[in-house]
Amino acid sequence: MFGYVLPPQDLPEEELNRFRRAYCGLCHTLGRRYGTAARFILNYDFTYLAILLSEREESVCRKSRCMAHPVHGREYLEDSAALDLAADESVILAYWQLRDGVADHDWLHGLKYRGLSGVLEPAYRKASTARPGFTESTRRQLARLAELEQAQCASIDRAADAFAVLLQEAASEVRDPVRRRVLAQMLYHLGRWVYLVDAADDLKKDAASGNYNPVALRFGLADGQWTENTRQEFARTLDQSIWMMISAFELWDFGVWTPVLQRTLYAGLFQVGRAVLEGRFRKRSRKKKTQERDT
Amino acid sequence: MNDPYQTLGISESATDEEIKQAYRKLAKKYHPDNYHDNPLADLAQEKMKEINAAYEEVQRRRGSGRTASGYGGYQDQQYRGTGSSVLQQVRAAIQVGDISRADALLANISDHNAEWNFLKGAVCLRRGWMDEAARYYQTACQMDPGNMEYRRALDMMEGRRGGFQTGGEPFGTMCAGNPCLPLCCAYMFCPGFFCC
Repeated sequence: MFGYVLPPQDLPEEELNRFRRAYCGLCHTLGRRYGTAARFILNYDFTYLAILLSEREESVCRKSRCMAHPVHGREYLEDSAALDLAADESVILAYWQLRDGVADHDWLHGLKYRGLSGVLEPAYRKASTARPGFTESTRRQLARLAELEQAQCASIDRAADAFAVLLQEAASEVRDPVRRRVLAQMLYHLGRWVYLVDAADDLKKDAASGNYNPVALRFGLADGQWTENTRQEFARTLDQSIWMMISAFELWDFGVWTPVLQRTLYAGLFQVGRAVLEGRFRKRSRKKKTQERDT
Repeated sequence: MNDPYQTLGISESATDEEIKQAYRKLAKKYHPDNYHDNPLADLAQEKMKEINAAYEEVQRRRGSGRTASGYGGYQDQQYRGTGSSVLQQVRAAIQVGDISRADALLANISDHNAEWNFLKGAVCLRRGWMDEAARYYQTACQMDPGNMEYRRALDMMEGRRGGFQTGGEPFGTMCAGNPCLPLCCAYMFCPGFFCC
């Protein structure tokens, strides 16, 4: 489910550096709160969560070397209440993602997931004690999702709703009521969008394996192939969620994070959605990763 | 009250024309059409009031004498139907934001006429169930093609984007990253790079 929310390709250098500081900040916070092993769960999605939960100004910035950047080191954001919350919620989400992997695979192929979730287990126990409300709602929504999958639910809205509500709950500890409503709305539609894009990305794979895919059921895509009309219709429903995110985003001042969020909402998500619908998303992201490694 | 110039996102040295443009841009962004059926419509309305007040204040300080007649525009969305009394109750529930009650009332009605479909669409939209909302609105419009209320709801849903545009940028999943965009968006399916 993770990996679809990315900084857009044409993000200005300054904003990209700011995003990196948040990314590294979350990594350090994960390390400090949960030990080095928990840092492997870090991804862009969780960084966005941290940014959404952050204050309008950047907190204190530090620089240090780490395993990933042993020579030059990187600047990162100092620990803050927002990063703590994002780190705790990330651990809970990552743990359940791994458990989901265990449930979805047979014993042999599930080994990887079982191993990793075992590694994350102590961190999860700590995070779930710190955030009992979010743990409970995550568990409840995932159970709902499993039921819907079992029942072969053909409504994409209903299926996406479970994941959307799950993500929405990440805002429930935000104190300011206006900010909480804005974030809840943004996260709901981000969750809906992620769930649907993920299902669209898996169309061919699920058609081959016979796994449940709400998008295939809704649009009657037996072989996992889009027709022009269905692809357009699906793109429209994705766009509507993005508009809902934008309409919420414009109602709150996100301070220094405004440009990166704005570029992501107004351009980045559309780019990813289109790449997925044209079947070239995975390819591109792999290529990009290799490029990043080489440089 | 906050600094009106700050609210409008302009400096005190801005020209009258710049102020007007900044105001228009913001008023377009928070226009009721962009927040039709949106659970955050009340926040957008607040924002609009702030902007109108700031614009009026700037006008006053500059002694131009003209007050902003502006885009007041926000009226509470009226769900005044002609249907059965239960459907009236559904409208009342939607009006006050009690979506679960509205949905429960709808579930008890066996006659799924045009108005039922329209109200069901409104309930779905407030929940964020965009795909089903569009389908119920479409059904309502098909069953009662002459009804302007249903037509408007569907148009609003499909057309909401105007004031959010940041410039001439691509806006839409199947238009992203394509230079020849507005045409593609409006008229045809874009087959990737071959579009131009």
